[in-house]
Amino acid sequence: MIIPKNKYKLQNRNLLFDVVDDFDFNSRNACHYFRGGNGFGKTSFLEKVIIPALNAAKRDYLYIGQDIRTQLYTLKALLSIQGHKVSETDEYELLRLWVHQSQSARIFILDEFDKYFPDYSFIFDWTESFIQNYIIVTHQRLDPIGIVAKSLKATHVRFELIDLDGHVKNVRVRKE
Amino acid sequence: MRIYNLDGLLKKYGEQFLILEFNHLFVSSSIREEVWLHQRKNDLALIDRIIQEAAEFNMNEVDADRDFETYSGGQKAILACLLTLALIRTRKTGGLKLLQNNILNSVSDENRLKLMQIFEKVRASHDVRLFTQKDDHLIEIFTGNDHSQK
Repeated sequence: MIIPKNKYKLQNRNLLFDVVDDFDFNSRNACHYFRGGNGFGKTSFLEKVIIPALNAAKRDYLYIGQDIRTQLYTLKALLSIQGHKVSETDEYELLRLWVHQSQSARIFILDEFDKYFPDYSFIFDWTESFIQNYIIVTHQRLDPIGIVAKSLKATHVRFELIDLDGHVKNVRVRKE
Repeated sequence: MRIYNLDGLLKKYGEQFLILEFNHLFVSSSIREEVWLHQRKNDLALIDRIIQEAAEFNMNEVDADRDFETYSGGQKAILACLLTLALIRTRKTGGLKLLQNNILNSVSDENRLKLMQIFEKVRASHDVRLFTQKDDHLIEIFTGNDHSQK
């Protein structure tokens, strides 16, 4: 799945993305790190550009969003329905169970997961055998240091505010 | 291992600290409502102060009635800090201890620096102290002192 360089307008979020590079999410052993200021549309780009493209391409993915509270409730319910006894299970184990049974996924999206786990190398260890491409939104300057994470080809993507057109933010998305 | 342990946080620190927690930033859905809850009136001066300070964070689209859910995660964290700091200054609250949990690591380097500058001013004028948790240690930001109970 490729997101071609183009302009992408999200009318109801007042964002206009000027994507100046092609982004290839088909390659294996790759990791895209998204960085940029608050409100420059990193999460919106995930939810309104990348995820619809993944759905259209029928590519399975895993997504851990910023609001982990809601997601954990949902995860607990989902796993309960599937027969897992999760009432005493901590969140780390919930995630591990969920990831373990999601092996058809090829892309893993993490939106500021590092604020919950500054070292989230375990995610890469759990998923090394089936995930081909990671997309990570982060404010950390340094990439994760685990062996698997370091073996990935890293692409650093910068979201930068170019100007404001009324309330619409013109945001350039480029590889660093 | 717990990722999100609100009960533990409240049990441990709830009595001594005002806790700013990323997943529980607001009670209501807009700045105006939030100000109403705290001030029991439509405090336009306070609202205006928050909106003006938000503009310093490239948040020119802030509106008193805009639903918090339409802001990004980092923007919500910034607004929660600005609201708290504006209330402290308006009410002339002194000696407050604030514990931030996943707030400062939700904002960009540039915005974190700006936030810290405002916190620093309020610390000096209102004796407000800012803390964070790190590996189960309670660290005071600015001094770096570890206040964990031995």
